[in-house]
This record gives sequence, structure tokens and C-alpha cells, in this order.
Amino acid sequence: MRHYSTSETIDTVVIGTGAGGAPLLARLAAAGLKVVALEAGKHWNPATDFATDEKSQEKLFWNDERLSAGNDPLPFGSNNSGTGVGGSTLHYTAYTPRAQPDDLRLRTDFGVGEDWPFGFDQLEPYYDEVEQFLGVSGPAPYPWGPTRKRAYALGPLPINGAGQLMERGCKKLGIKTSAAANAALSAGYYQEGVGHRPACANRGFCQAGCTIGAKASMDVTYIPLAVHHGAEIRPESFVTQLVQDAAGRIREVIYIRNGQEERQRCRFVFLCAGTIETARLLLLNDLANSSGQIGRNLMAHTGLQIWGEFDDDVRPYKGIPGALISEDTHRPEKADFAGGYLLQSIGVMPLTYISQMARARGLWGQELKRAALAYNHVAGINILGDCLPYKHNYLELADEKDVRGLPKPRIYFSNGDNEKRMTDHADKIMRAIWDAAGAKNVWAFPRNAHVIGTCRMGNDPTKAVVNAEGQSFDIPNLFISDNSTFPSALSVNPALTIMALSLRTADRFLMSERVKKRKSGPQHE
Amino acid sequence: MHVYYPEGTVRALLATDQVTEATRQVLLERLTAPPQSPKFFSATEFVLLQTICNRLIPQEPGDAQIDIAGGIDKRLSQNESDGWRYDVMPPDGDTYKLGLTGVDETAQLLFKQPFQQLSDDQQDEVLMNIQRAVAPGQTWEHLPAGRFFEELLVEATHIYYSHPLAQEVIGYVGMADVPTWQRIGLNELEGREPQSTEAGGSELGKPSLLHAPWLL
Repeated sequence: MRHYSTSETIDTVVIGTGAGGAPLLARLAAAGLKVVALEAGKHWNPATDFATDEKSQEKLFWNDERLSAGNDPLPFGSNNSGTGVGGSTLHYTAYTPRAQPDDLRLRTDFGVGEDWPFGFDQLEPYYDEVEQFLGVSGPAPYPWGPTRKRAYALGPLPINGAGQLMERGCKKLGIKTSAAANAALSAGYYQEGVGHRPACANRGFCQAGCTIGAKASMDVTYIPLAVHHGAEIRPESFVTQLVQDAAGRIREVIYIRNGQEERQRCRFVFLCAGTIETARLLLLNDLANSSGQIGRNLMAHTGLQIWGEFDDDVRPYKGIPGALISEDTHRPEKADFAGGYLLQSIGVMPLTYISQMARARGLWGQELKRAALAYNHVAGINILGDCLPYKHNYLELADEKDVRGLPKPRIYFSNGDNEKRMTDHADKIMRAIWDAAGAKNVWAFPRNAHVIGTCRMGNDPTKAVVNAEGQSFDIPNLFISDNSTFPSALSVNPALTIMALSLRTADRFLMSERVKKRKSGPQHE
Repeated sequence: MHVYYPEGTVRALLATDQVTEATRQVLLERLTAPPQSPKFFSATEFVLLQTICNRLIPQEPGDAQIDIAGGIDKRLSQNESDGWRYDVMPPDGDTYKLGLTGVDETAQLLFKQPFQQLSDDQQDEVLMNIQRAVAPGQTWEHLPAGRFFEELLVEATHIYYSHPLAQEVIGYVGMADVPTWQRIGLNELEGREPQSTEAGGSELGKPSLLHAPWLL
């Protein structure tokens, strides 16, 4: 790996190495830029550092305490956070459906929420590129959305017990299902600059870290590609300050490494720390907030799960957890809400299942032990649905300080009427599916997943933090690339879109730099 | 659906080459960790916490004990967080100390005795009142009782079911992470996955504890 000196002025510092930072890092490095990625967490070697044990894998979560407020306080840690080279992709489920074109124009279609400042045509080529590069496994044809120009890189992964049960129930109800698209390999895969990755072992542990590189987390895909092209990854570097010059441009990034403060001079900064930490860093530094919108427009997908027990032996720890999908509920007929959702079968690791059962059902004593004993016979379905922005949902800095002495973020979240109506709709459908499939002891785990928003992208500098290129309206050499910029939450899991947007942001940046260079003539730089 | 799984499956697996070194290490460490005296809680608080945990997740006196209260004490003494907390709650350490005071206060108000002097049923009634956020006591004016109960229950559950012995009881063998899993459909089992026995069947059918030399 190349190393740059902190006294050298490099081209770009990228803060964060998850789905927002890693693809862009590789793109900028490939274009010949001198790039350094600062990552708060460690650079793991999954083969030796990761155990098949949920508790010890909690090291992949962002465990600095966040304060969850509102009527539906959002859990963090295992949900909605990540740390380490690869960010939260280290423990994402690798569910990679594309957004549909109408997801990007919620306001046009429903008069609520926000449109994206560009259309699906701007994302589609990047979806295709990311899917091919990661080796996404999926069906051909895929039954929903615009016709794909190219099939998924690999055929679908095998369907596990939960997927079979959902298929069984949906068939009886006339709901169309399909093998889902997952960024985990159904066969060995080779990519230039990355090397060979093996097929998925069906270990079912995506949410606690893949040990063999079959799942396309960033540390085994875009990060090695970036390093191949000359990028430096600086792990365990926690960014605290962005320093401006007299003209207001960021000229230096200050971070803590090994307990020492270090500084990196640079020409551009790409902030890719995720919805919470991106907004928090900007608020801490009082930067890029002339709109007053940083921390606002916070959204979180509706994510209700319905669990049931079956006579069949399910063994829910096997296979890709999200094996089956239906997007028949993308824009349901006669719906009393804006937007829509997808349905997903879910396998589950034991600790996750039993802990959330204790939380949601409040079971304890012998009752809890009896319910836990049914673990091998449980299967779940969950939804992933759109969420509107509301004034009452936002992030602020609390007075309380964390271990580093920095204010903790406080996140307010309450589902609005739209989310409640959507969740009710989904609750009925999922219970009907499980009834048809023969489930007993059905129970609901209400939740919201994927925190989104806080640094909205848009065309109006009074209502958005960055423009359609991800560039700050206030600070021209500051860019944001992560789920904080999403103008709307979308009705699909966000990771694929974050990656696609990351590549688009890099390409638009490189294009505008080339244009500037051409205009200023060869004598400059 | 009341089922039994054979005893000793996880312990037997850990002695084979079907488990990676990283996995074996963390599970054996948890399996053999000796109980520690409390560092965060006082001795009195700790005994009270143990009593409560044993109502939340009862363990039979004859069984190998999974040290739930010790796990909570360890986390708090190391000032570790799971990444978030309810904004209505004080910091975790304060929550636990206050909550324990509240449990005894409610016990006194309902039964005129400290929690530990109560019968199992009375203890359960105290806890039920706290869970439903209807427990009497001034403590609960400062600490939301329902949330306190929820957080305690989830942490206790988390610690208990992360233990290899508890995972054995529910028939989980996902830690066998060297071989791939090929039989993943409904009712398809790999050779290393234990078969269950329906409850109500003969107790004689329950296989005996497999030899586990590291426990000796």
C-alpha cells in the first residue's frame, strides 16, 4: 500500500470507508489522484479476527453511545451503524435491490416527501457497474422495475427454509415472489484489482461479518481496488476537525490516531461517515450549515418483522438471510399511504432472535425459555418501506459528552401517520402469508432500520446541504457521499444506491475538475 | 412445540476441527470463565441483581450456572456501551443502581420485606409490576420502570443465550464454521445438526452428557 506524508498536500481525504466512501475512493485513486481514507475503526482480517459468535462480533458496531429520543426511539449499535474498514457493510445483510424510478419522485407522484434532483437514468449505469463489480447474485429475469439491460453477475443464491415458507404462503395468496438479489457470491468470482473470492458457505452470519470474503463488504471489494490504484487506508483514525483557510475552503483534516492528534493537508474532502457521524462532525465544526438543514430530514425505513413458528425444521441460521423477495407491494392498489415497501424473508442468528423477542414480547422466566426453544423452527418476514421526512425527526448535539469528550448525538424519531398506515397494511399481509404457510405463535417486532437523511441533497441552497453532485453549497471543496444526502428514504435497502451514488459523485467531480483544468489552461497545475 | 436437544453437542463440536480457531477461542473462554467478584456493583447490589436475574431466566441449582449478573457487572465496570440508550434513561450505570433501589422499594411497599426475602411468586409480582410500569415507589418517578425492566431483560437474555450451554439447549450449532452448509432447505439437516426429541417422550431417550475434558 502507498503511504502519503501528513506534511504533503494530497488531493483528497475521504472520511469513512463504508458504502459511501469506498467506491469513490477507488474511482479517485484510479484517476490518478493522491487519496487517503481515514477510518475510525480497525482494519480487520476476517479469516482470523472474526468468530462465528454474535457477541464477540459486536466489535463491528459503532458502540459510542447515541441518545435515542422520540416516540419510536431508534436503536443503534447493531442497527444503523458500523465501524472498521468497510463500515457497516461489514455487517450488512447484503440485500441489494435497486430503487425503482418512482422512488425518486415521491413528491411528484404523491405530493409529499421530496423528489431526487435527478432521475433513475442517472443511477442505472452505476447500479449495473456496482452489481457486476461486487458479483451480485440474483434471478433472471428480475420480475419488478424497469427491464434490466444486463442480467445479474451470478445466478441466485439457494433459498433457505424461511424463503421456502414465505414462498409457500405467498403462492396461496397470489403474491408473486422471486429469489432476491444479494451481494454475496453464488459461485467463485474474479475481479481485476481484487482477485478471487469464493462462493458463499451458507453460514448465515452476514449480519455479524463474513469470514471468507463471499459477501461483498467494502473491505474485500472497493477497498482492495482502491489500494491497487494507489490509495492509502489509514485505519483507527477518528476525525475531529475540518480546518478552513481564509477563503473558507477546507485545507486540513485533523484526526486522532493512537491517542495523538495528526493533520492531513488536502485539496478536497469527501465526507462519507454515514447519516449520524457525517452530520455530527459538521455540527461539531459548525460547517456547511447556512441552510440550517444539517441534522434535519432524518428518516428511517419502516421495517416491521413478523415471526412465526413452524412444524418444519427451519434452522434459521443457514443460508443467505434475505433469500426471497416480493415487490408486489411497491405501490399497492388502494393504499392509504404514500410510497410503498418490499417484502423479504428473513433467517436469523440465535442471539438476535431471542434478544429481540425478549424486548418486543416481554417474555421472561420459563415462558422465555420455552419460546427460545422454538428457535430452530422460526422464520420471519419483514418489510422495508419508505419513510417521509418530518420536522419532529432530527439529530442534534447533546450536552452529554462521550469518552472522547465530544457531545453525543441525540436522535429524535417518531413514525408519522404515513409510516403507521404503511406498517398496518404490511402487518395484515405478512400475517396472512404466515397463516397460509402454517405458522403458529405469530408475533410482531416493530422496528425502523437504516437511518437516512440529515444532509439533504437538492437544488435549493436554502433547503439542502449539498447539490446534486454531492458538493456543499457553502464549501466548494467539501463533498458528502453517504445515506445522509438521500432526499427520500426509498422503498429498498440503501446500500446499493449509496454505492451507485458514490461512483456518480466521483465521476461528476472528476469531470468538473477536468473541465476546470481545460479552462485554466495547461500552465495551471 | 416442546422439544429437547441432546446435551453436549456444542461442547463436542468445539473439540473437533469443524470450528475455526477464532470461534473456538471465544466460546471456550466463555464456557470456562470463572465467576468474578463484582467490580461495579456493591456486594449487596450484586446479590440482589443475581436474584432478579434468576427470576428473569431461571437456572436450576444443579445445572452449570451461566453468570448473567457477572456479565452485566463486567460491562459496566469497563464502561462499555451497546451504541445507544433511551434518551429518557440516565447513563447505564446509574440506571442499574437506581433500578435495584427501586426493586427493593417496590418489594417493601407491596410486601413489607426486601426483595430477597420474598417467595418466588412475590418476587415475580414485583417484577411484573415494574415491567408494566405500575410499580409503587418514588424511584420510578425518576426512572421509567418499563424501560428499566426492558433493558435489564434484554441484557440478561443476551448474556445468557450467548453462552455455549444455553445454545446447546436450543439446538444451535451454527458455530461449526469450517465446513460449508449444503443442506439448507426445510427439514434438511447436516450430520452435525442435532435432532430434537418431542417433549413428553421418554426421559430415558435423552442422551447423556458427552465427554468434555476441558470442563474437568
